[in-house]
Amino acid sequence: MTGKLDRGPARADILQSLSGLLLVLFIWGHMFFESSILLGKDAMYRVTRMFEGEPLFGKPYPLLVSGVAAIIFVLIAVHAVLALRKFPGSHRQYREFNAHMGAMRHPDTTLWYVQVLTGFALFFLASAHLLVVFLQPDNIGPYASSDRIWSGRFWILYALLLVCVHLHAGIGIYRLAMKWGPIPAAGSKVARRRLKLAMWGIIAFFLCLGTASLATYMYIGRDHAPHAGERYLPAHQQALPGNT
Amino acid sequence: MNRIPLRQAARTLRIQILRHNPRDPDSQPRLQTFEIEEADAMTLFIALTEIRERQDPSLQFDFVCRAGICGSCGMIINGRPGLACRTLTRDLPEQITLAPLPAFELIGDLSVNTGKWMRGMSERLETWVHSQNLESLDIDAMEAAMEPELAEQIYELERCIECGCCVAACGTARMREDFVGAVGLNQVTRFRLDPRDERSDAAFYELVGDESGVFGCMTLLGCEDMCPKDLPLATQIAFLRRRMAATT
Amino acid sequence: MQIIYTDVLVIGGGLAGQRAAIGAKRRGHDVIVLSLVPAKRSHSAAAQGGMQASLGNCLGAAGDNEDIHFADTVRGSDWGADQEVVRMFTHTAPKAIRELAAWGVPWNRVARGEREITVDGQRKTISEPDAAHGLITSRNFGGTQKWRACYVSDGTGHAMLYTMSNQAIAANIPVHERMEALALIHADGRCHGAIVRNLMTGELLAYVARATCIATGGFGRIYRVSTNAIINEGMGAAIALETGVATLGNMEAIQFHPTGIFPAGILVTEGCRGDGGLLLDCNEHRFMPDYEPEKKELASRDVVSRRMEEHIGAGHGVKSRFGEHLWLDIRLLGADHINNNLREVKEICQYFLGIDPVRELIPVRPAQHYSMGGVRTNHRGESPQLQGLFAAGEAACWDMHGFNRLGGNSVAETVVAGMIVGDTIADFCDSTAGALQLSSALVQEFGERERRRLAEIANGKGRESAFELARLMQETMTAQVGIFREGERLEQAVASLQELQLRSRNIGLRSSAPGANPELVTAYRVQRMLKLAQCVAYGALQRTESRGAHYRADHPRRDDLNWMRRTLASWPSADARLPVLTYEPLDIMKMELPPGWRGYGARDYIEHPDTGVRQQQVDAIGGGLDRADRHTRQEALMPFRHLLPEHLRNNNERLGEES
Ligand SMILES: Cc1cc2nc3c(=O)[nH]c(=O)nc-3n(C[C@H](O)[C@H](O)[C@H](O)COP(=O)(O)OP(=O)(O)OC[C@H]3O[C@@H](n4cnc5c(N)ncnc54)[C@H](O)[C@@H]3O)c2cc1C
Ligand code: HEM
Repeated sequence: MTGKLDRGPARADILQSLSGLLLVLFIWGHMFFESSILLGKDAMYRVTRMFEGEPLFGKPYPLLVSGVAAIIFVLIAVHAVLALRKFPGSHRQYREFNAHMGAMRHPDTTLWYVQVLTGFALFFLASAHLLVVFLQPDNIGPYASSDRIWSGRFWILYALLLVCVHLHAGIGIYRLAMKWGPIPAAGSKVARRRLKLAMWGIIAFFLCLGTASLATYMYIGRDHAPHAGERYLPAHQQALPGNT
Repeated sequence: MNRIPLRQAARTLRIQILRHNPRDPDSQPRLQTFEIEEADAMTLFIALTEIRERQDPSLQFDFVCRAGICGSCGMIINGRPGLACRTLTRDLPEQITLAPLPAFELIGDLSVNTGKWMRGMSERLETWVHSQNLESLDIDAMEAAMEPELAEQIYELERCIECGCCVAACGTARMREDFVGAVGLNQVTRFRLDPRDERSDAAFYELVGDESGVFGCMTLLGCEDMCPKDLPLATQIAFLRRRMAATT
Repeated sequence: MQIIYTDVLVIGGGLAGQRAAIGAKRRGHDVIVLSLVPAKRSHSAAAQGGMQASLGNCLGAAGDNEDIHFADTVRGSDWGADQEVVRMFTHTAPKAIRELAAWGVPWNRVARGEREITVDGQRKTISEPDAAHGLITSRNFGGTQKWRACYVSDGTGHAMLYTMSNQAIAANIPVHERMEALALIHADGRCHGAIVRNLMTGELLAYVARATCIATGGFGRIYRVSTNAIINEGMGAAIALETGVATLGNMEAIQFHPTGIFPAGILVTEGCRGDGGLLLDCNEHRFMPDYEPEKKELASRDVVSRRMEEHIGAGHGVKSRFGEHLWLDIRLLGADHINNNLREVKEICQYFLGIDPVRELIPVRPAQHYSMGGVRTNHRGESPQLQGLFAAGEAACWDMHGFNRLGGNSVAETVVAGMIVGDTIADFCDSTAGALQLSSALVQEFGERERRRLAEIANGKGRESAFELARLMQETMTAQVGIFREGERLEQAVASLQELQLRSRNIGLRSSAPGANPELVTAYRVQRMLKLAQCVAYGALQRTESRGAHYRADHPRRDDLNWMRRTLASWPSADARLPVLTYEPLDIMKMELPPGWRGYGARDYIEHPDTGVRQQQVDAIGGGLDRADRHTRQEALMPFRHLLPEHLRNNNERLGEES
């Protein structure tokens, strides 16, 4: 054996997949928390407070949210830089790939292209979203978010983000499974068919969930538009005398 | 009881072929259409031979065993790579488009230099049993025993015929010329599995532990889906990726 | 013209060529291999069934050894083989397979314990011994007393060729692919290399070498229905013939394989029958036991093929729109066995017939399969007439197959002959005779001759179509020089081939595309193939007996009295319309196994007076040594070890037998 192995390529590949996996897990969790609005404004309010650390420290620290946003941003940056290596790097490569994809009409090849496109879009969409969260971590809540979405017209950004991120995440998880998964060769065809089915199922589920939440925020935002900027008070506080 | 399949009315096939003779300075890549009468049990081998003998004797293509064993006749059939010799025309529409396998040097028309590519791959990945004592073997003595299942597993991976379909089906290989392709990665797993090969994982890492090797694969799975021999390429590449990622 | 110098030029990148190349290279000589196609695509890759070597590991092979392999091979050859060569071969085959095992071939192995097999249409359970666990196993093949065909599923040739090619790559042996040898350069009985055409550019080159080895495989494509690859056009044998000096041996000995799928002629392996498959007729009646009660479906190939044609002739064929055929039934082997051990067969049925052999019958009919004849060599693989020319593999008539080759003996021959010839070549190069000695004028002269020949075709104003001539030749051979031969039809064939040969001087081309020009390729090959075809037809016409695969309906008996001799064909004058045939006697008085009944097929033959005399001698020598071990006894009958390279002379170790 000559000298030491260059572990760089292995690390890069692991890191690309790991960052992708973490992001997917995050986004899926994020979806459930975000969609707490479907259970009512109070539910969402509680979730927000939870993330600001209130249950732990007794009072909310919005800076925590900025912290999470920063971490996710770093993850995305790492992931994007690593994934960018796989993008067609020249016009020739782009042309070759396009011709190839067009002729083959091969689903998994096309899905990769979808991932490249959505990934590229995410770079901007996710960054924009994260930037807002990072800069205004305290500005999250049933009314604050709804106002941003409706009155601030952020629903356009979120609708795009929703589609991109779930296509990207769903396909990404399927790819991760095929890329690393210890699937026994004997049943690999069946396993792959099931994974593919699961992928579409998951994508559909999250798109529905996300659309429902976004619609809810939009309704709330529209109703709340006249008072845009006012913060939400949870039900138990609303009931307290002297607070109206 | 089976019968040799019959078809009622014969179709007229329109076979469109991407033609180009790089040896001829006047030749430009172009599509040329040939019409032939379909026959029973006609394969693309039979159809192309007939075109050459009756219509255009300059048409270039490669067939050797014409039985799906030697891997010579890989070409793009209606957009996808496959072995022409065992493609029955009755499984294709009347309009058939044939093109040479991309990613390989073009010799002429449908003939490409897969041999040169594969030899390069073999030299680069050293696809042979590496063992200290090959030169001083005692061939009078009993052969070393091997578990029967292991022998079968090795053969399972050895079934590759180096036809090049996996390379032509691979988006990565299309973009990056130095990518070793599923054919190369599969052969590495074949030798890694073989106890007669004394190489360590670190040695294999030196061969495929980079972007032109296993870490370049983007898991587009064209190889797995287009392999004429149905090799378990996806699981083999995943396996190799795990082993290589764990190598230090 | 570019000239490339090397010590050894091997023409042919199949198993034989590459093994010979590795042998010579290991002895320190520079080697270049030429091949029409990438080496791994050579037709050796198509061998499915197995390689014979008497390892004797599995239960069905227990007790096997070189002696039994020898006897099977000689009987299979119908006593046409050179028995010394058969001894050299059977002795070296176990070494060859063990070498390949170490090099990486994943031979199927014996698994201890019980398993189910199919014998004679019945399911049986057998139990393999512990001691053999993990050793190379083998399957039953036609014409053998033991299970001797070692195999890798049904991709034996593929696995062997890939391992061999990879070892050649490891040894850094260059293979010049898509290069076709067009002529041998020779003068005064010494061969100096070859004029070669680049099949990609059309350019001519000269390869000048101290030793030249022909390993170009068979020439099945002179027939219309053949299991052979379409590149098996016999150009190696043809260019040897065209020297006018070297001879071709036993060209009339052509093997027909019983189970080519109908009508395409693609082979399904003998392993199908070896593993228990049956032949059925139009009534789904198993007919082979009616003709061959002892060996049934597993008599030698010549016998089974003839019986099949006979049965069709008697009106029991299955009628189809392409003509008549019979059925091969492997359904009884079960889905598991077919899916694991006969997968290639399953794929072929699926892709070319659209049927599933697990549930359906396979339409089969005998098809041309193997050429026992080829470039005549001595036991060391050297042409007796042309110094510096060697041959190995199917292209050679080393003569271990005589008039019929046993299944599995061919890939074994390629490797064994490669091992032996590789050494012979190295010895030759090391000797003074092997020094390079030729004038560049000679090279230019041969290059110019070939260039002219090509130009004549390319610029000729002839009207004949090369494709048409090839088709007519193939039809003639299949119709008139096939399984059943007969004087009058052979005469017609010879006449038709002569006419085609004349016409072939008048070929005109429609295409003048620069580069490979496939039409030009067909044109120059058909001229040469016609000569080979004529050697086959004319040799068959002259041989007025039936021996092995050569069956004359008008001379149905084997005639040891007149025909214990090998046909040698040469073509001294380029303009001649027939080959010159001479005959080389086979000396019964030197045979270890004097002629007799094969154990299957026809029982009556015309005996040679020497046979009785020699048999008595053999019995006496054997009787006198009945206490000695088998090697001593054998040595007393017909010594052969001195003919082998030294490192191949030792005994082979076996289970229960020390080396
Ligand atoms: C379908 C089929 C199945 C078979 N199954 C078995 C089996 O199970 N067991 C068995 O023992 N035998 C079997 N045989 C027979 C056996 O495979 C062959 O006899 C053997 O492989 C021949 O090997 P070879 O090295 O002599 O030639 P090949 O493997 O045919 O190689 C010939 C080489 O010569 C090259 N060549 C030819 N002409 C030229 C030229 N003019 N210039 C340069 N290069 C040239 C070719 O490119 C090729 O590389 C089978 C044969 C067939 C057809
Ligand atoms: C800045 C935005 C992003 C870009 C540019 C981007 C780009 C890409 C690209 C091009 C790939 C394919 C890489 C390959 O084939 O090897 C990929 C894979 C992946 N992405 Fe992203 N992505 C982004 C954000 C995200 C986000 C937010 C998530 C999670 C929700 C995510 C999850 C994944 C996963 C799981 C994979 C598969 C990992 C792998 O193949 O190793 N990505 N990404």
